[in-house]
This record gives sequence, structure tokens and C-alpha cells, in this order.
Amino acid sequence: MTSNATILDLFDRTADGVYTLGYRLLGDRHLAEDVVQETFLAALRSIVSYRDEGPIEAWLYRIAYRSAITQQRKRRDLPTDPVDMVDLAGAGRSDVERSVLTLELASALDRAIETLSPSLRAAFVLRQIEGLSTRDVAHVLEVSESSVKMRLARARTILRVELKGYL
Amino acid sequence: MTCDELDALLPEFLDGHITDEQRDAALEHLATCDTCRLIVDDLETVNRLYEDHGRLHMAPESRERIRRLLEF
Repeated sequence: MTSNATILDLFDRTADGVYTLGYRLLGDRHLAEDVVQETFLAALRSIVSYRDEGPIEAWLYRIAYRSAITQQRKRRDLPTDPVDMVDLAGAGRSDVERSVLTLELASALDRAIETLSPSLRAAFVLRQIEGLSTRDVAHVLEVSESSVKMRLARARTILRVELKGYL
Repeated sequence: MTCDELDALLPEFLDGHITDEQRDAALEHLATCDTCRLIVDDLETVNRLYEDHGRLHMAPESRERIRRLLEF
């Protein structure tokens, strides 16, 4: 398979996952799309140096996480876009999903995850939403597995409190 | 297994990465401890809610635009 074909295959399987990570970390759909674009273009440039050090998805999410963190640092001092905050519950969800999920539940899930610090949020998104193993999450975040487990435990405890009315 | 021991094992328990022996001990404790059962039920629900509804989807036109950039 050529580099382009490999990256396109990866894009078809994981673009929404990378978008989810970007959006959950940055809270802005345009910035999340920038993360997707930067991630896959960077992956295309560097795939020749990829050396089978675990699942290729983990390698890709590592690029995406670095890109999102860079965006986050650049953006730290900018005011939050009020349109994005108001529309958070509906953002990125299809009409079908919006109609099945009550807007209230969607909004509660989004608000709850927003209360997590970025490091807890990234670990939780990668493990629970994107389904990476704890080991792969550790690789993406460049921390130890025990640190990932600790972050997941903290994240779940906070989310349990935040979502009390929905459990 | 005590409540503290289960608490320490929770990340592995929730991820299913434990030995059969640990799992049996955890389930035995949960059968008799309402407090731990409530916590585990809640955390499993939190996990399921995000597994089912946490993923977002890019707008189709944005997805197509970026995909085209990768085709060349």
C-alpha cells in the first residue's frame, strides 16, 4: 500500500476520532478541523519514518494530541467564543443523533467533560470514547501507564459527580 | 476483598484487565457491599454514556475537503 493509500485508509477510520479529541480539548469546531488537517498532513509527511512501535492509530493520535496542545497554548489567552459554548450540545452530532439523544443529556455530557482538566480529558477521551488501550493512551500522552490509570480514575470520579442526575 | 482494595483495583476492573481471581474477589465483595456496588454501577454508566454518545462527527464538507488534500 502506498503512503497516500495508507493515510487515506487511516483517515477514513479515524478522522472523526481525531476530530473528537481536538474538539474535546479545544471546544471549537474550526480549531478541531485544523487539528484534523494538520495531523493527517503531518502523518503523510512522516509515515515513511513510522517503525511499527505499536498500533498506527496510537502514532496518529500522538501527532493529533501534540497539535491540539499547541493550539491550546496559542489560544490560552483568547476569550472563549460564546457561539461555540452555547452550541456545544449540538456540535458535531448528526440530526439522527440529536433526535435520539435528548438535548439535555447531550448538553450534560458535554458540560461534564468540560469540567475535567485537559490532561484528564485527553486520557478519558482516548480510552473511553476512542477505545485505545491504557498502554496506547500512555504512548499518546507520553506518560506512564500508572499515570493514565490515575487520570482515568480521577476523571471518572469527577464525571460521576457532575452527572449525578443522569445515573 | 475490602472496600479500599476494590477502590485500588477499580481502573483495571472497569477496563476488564484483571485476573479471574481478582474478578471473582471483586464480584464477591460487590455482592455484599451496597456502597461499592452503587459506585461501580455509576462509573459503568458514565463509561457507557460516553462510549455511546461521546464521539463527534466532522461536517461532511470539511471531511471531504481535508480528504482531498491527502489524495495528492
